[in-house]
Amino acid sequence: MQGPDIAWYLVVAAFLFSIGAAGVLLRRSPLIVLLSLEIMLNAANLALISFARLHGDHDGQVFALAVMAVAASEVVVGLGLIVAVARRHIDLDVDRLRVLRG
Amino acid sequence: MGDFLVWVVWFLAAAGCLGSGLAVVTFRNPFFSALALIGNLGSLAVLFLLASAEFVAAAQVLVYAGAVMVMFLFVIAYLGDRGVVESPFSGGPSWLAWSAIVAATALLVEVVVVIGLTAGDGLADEATVERAFGSPAEIGRLFLTDHLLAFEITSIVLLVAAVGGVVLGSRTLEEEEGAARAGA
Amino acid sequence: MTAGAWICLLAPLAGAVLITLLGGTISRRTAGWVSTLSVFAGFGGAVTAFVGLVDREADEREVVTSAWTWLGSGGFSVDLSLLVDPLSATMMLIVTGVGGLIILYSVGYMDGDDEERRYFAYMSLFVFSMLLLVQAGNFLLLLAGWGLVGLASYLLIGFWHQRPEAVAAAKKAFVMNAFGDATMALAFFVLIWQVGSLDFVAAFEGAGELSDTAVNLVALGLLGGAVAKSAQIPIHTWLPDAMEGPTPVSALIHAATMVTAGVYLIVRAHPIFELAPDVADLAAGLGTITLLVAGFVALVQVDIKRVIAYSTMSQIGYMFLGAGLGAYGNGMFHLMTHAFFKALLFMAAGLVIHHLAGEQDMRRMGGLRRAMPRTFLAFLIGALALAGMPPLSGFFSKDAILASALASGSYGQLLFVGGAIGALLTGIYTFRMLFIVFLGEPSPLVREHADGHGRREGPWTMTVPVALLAVLAVIGGWVQLAGIWHPFADWLDPIALEREHLALVEPTVTQDYVASAIAVGLGLVGIGIAWMFYGARARPVPRWSAVQTTLEHKLWFDELYDAIFYRPAVFLTRLLRRNVEEPLIGGSIQGVTLGAREAGGAVGEAQTGYLREYALAIAGAVAILVVVFVAVQ
Repeated sequence: MQGPDIAWYLVVAAFLFSIGAAGVLLRRSPLIVLLSLEIMLNAANLALISFARLHGDHDGQVFALAVMAVAASEVVVGLGLIVAVARRHIDLDVDRLRVLRG
Repeated sequence: MGDFLVWVVWFLAAAGCLGSGLAVVTFRNPFFSALALIGNLGSLAVLFLLASAEFVAAAQVLVYAGAVMVMFLFVIAYLGDRGVVESPFSGGPSWLAWSAIVAATALLVEVVVVIGLTAGDGLADEATVERAFGSPAEIGRLFLTDHLLAFEITSIVLLVAAVGGVVLGSRTLEEEEGAARAGA
Repeated sequence: MTAGAWICLLAPLAGAVLITLLGGTISRRTAGWVSTLSVFAGFGGAVTAFVGLVDREADEREVVTSAWTWLGSGGFSVDLSLLVDPLSATMMLIVTGVGGLIILYSVGYMDGDDEERRYFAYMSLFVFSMLLLVQAGNFLLLLAGWGLVGLASYLLIGFWHQRPEAVAAAKKAFVMNAFGDATMALAFFVLIWQVGSLDFVAAFEGAGELSDTAVNLVALGLLGGAVAKSAQIPIHTWLPDAMEGPTPVSALIHAATMVTAGVYLIVRAHPIFELAPDVADLAAGLGTITLLVAGFVALVQVDIKRVIAYSTMSQIGYMFLGAGLGAYGNGMFHLMTHAFFKALLFMAAGLVIHHLAGEQDMRRMGGLRRAMPRTFLAFLIGALALAGMPPLSGFFSKDAILASALASGSYGQLLFVGGAIGALLTGIYTFRMLFIVFLGEPSPLVREHADGHGRREGPWTMTVPVALLAVLAVIGGWVQLAGIWHPFADWLDPIALEREHLALVEPTVTQDYVASAIAVGLGLVGIGIAWMFYGARARPVPRWSAVQTTLEHKLWFDELYDAIFYRPAVFLTRLLRRNVEEPLIGGSIQGVTLGAREAGGAVGEAQTGYLREYALAIAGAVAILVVVFVAVQ
């Protein structure tokens, strides 16, 4: 194959994953959190595709497509939640949304 | 020459990926973050292409960047100012930020190490694939034969999400009356 | 015939169950009649069994009937088996016959009490338990009956549970009997261990192989139970207190039947006692001591029922004396006659108490002869029988025991002296009671109650049994004439497994006459002494204050037991509660709950509600787990 080895793809995926994780943990706006979640999912997708290429097996790509569909569904629901929260005039701040407390 | 070109494209795509990822996480305005994410998705599509996953790359651009992100942008536009939060990184206990960074770094290191340990040299042997490896025909055939169950279940998940979206987004009767009274 | 035995056992139980199940749907009177009829049905069964035995040859008069195997463990098994032989048939007849009459009497005596149904259920339960005890074919079933009669006694003594004295007396009886139960259980353990069976026949045969120590232990254990159940010294202090129960209860349980269970046990287990002659001698000695002590204490009692109670204790001492020396037939004979005249005395006393609306203090009575002439006659018959006057029943039985004592060597002769003194005391205290209550001018209390009842001294349910028992007290002894004609002793002979005659000692005719003469003579002297001090021309009673106080305190036994057992036990429990129960056990339980609550609270602090903290927790956990998985692999 031409270009970098699969290992390079996996490194990129790892970096993307941790960037996404940092975003989920550090940002206060639920919208940004959702976007960071998308980054993490995409990083996983990249890893799947890379392994599919490595083993010559299509399963990874099929899996990646399924992940994509699920990610889309999750975004729909997440955005619906955010809109519902915003409509009730509550601050879109993850730190404020803490009624479910022990 | 061809190999060199591939390397260049790969580096550009990878850089775009990581850069836009950082951008998503650091911008204050969610609108710009969303745009950065679109860029991220596009770079990833290029990487997919380089890894012989043509159909997935196309789906990524069409579905993910095209539909999902557009939906995101619609919502951000609807929320307007409400989506913007003061000082994105502050708030919460101070130890939260540092431990988050530590955790993320730990994850990164671990992932790399694990993959290196388990796969090791095997990462260098790639299988040889024919040209139609990631083509729609192949994927489609797999979806309708080997992975039929996954295909069907995914469609149900999408249905559920669609219903959920409608339910979450609909107004209750009182809200409508309240809005109507407010408007009237 | 075995059907008769089963009917005898189960009819009273059926009565008790029926009364319990029907509860409030039947009237109180009906409950009384159910109980009475169930016990009389049992009597019918007993008669059938008796007749069946009589029909057989003498050597075949031992029938064991088994229902099923009750428990089996390895090589050891116990059947639910009844033994029908002359001894058990005699006891069956006594228990159901006298018991039936007493329960009939109760129908009148307890009339009007709110909880009559409970009373009659308990009475039927008691009769069943006593029958189980006497009909048992093995020691374990006997122990079951033993414990059940203790339970019935507790329930009936404490029947009027609103009275704290009654409750305390019931507890005292039960706890003291528990000591006897424990020693019996130990004896059975030794039997099982050494012989391997609790069946009467097997145990007796195997007992011959036992070592001396083992046999003595078994006999001692059995004696402990007998002493506790029969209220002999030293486990006797519960019997006078048991008079808190209704008078028919005292008549049935604490005179005629339950307290005689100890004597029955000794006679039944006689092969074991014969192998342990020291223990048998101990039994006879304890009996003699008891009959003397009880006789003395009875001299100063003022409660009419307590006089009769001490008299019971004393007479059972005679039975122990007889049984301990090997005169089993005579001991059982006295058991039978004693059942008649003691129940008679209690029931006559009950008529008096009933007439005087619950008064039991003799000092407030007097001159009752004119108001209750027939009761006086019944009482007189009972008193004469008790004092051993011919030709009433007590004469034949008591003198037979004394004659056997005379014939039993020097130890026996020593005990004879004790028994003779006892005869003197019996005359004194019995007629003291009779004279105080019935003779002289009517006391103010008697005059108060004189007009209420007219000529009737009690309902027929009460007077008829008394009359019947009076007849039995007269003729009941006419089944044995010393030295000449003894069908009763012959009847019991078959229970001796190896020899011809049951009794170990056979007094000569001379000894019989000497014993009778001395006993009757001393009895008459006693009656004379009582007449002197309590009769028509009452002389002042000599009082030595020290003796008086000691007798009134029943020889300080209660105080002794209080100091030895009760106070240390209470002290120990208080100590344990303070130092073990509260800090350790209570504290540990509290500690567990407090700890759980605090742990829960501490863990609950993790739920801050911050989404980012939760996400951080997940990320951190994943990071750590990856390391763990890699390291482990």
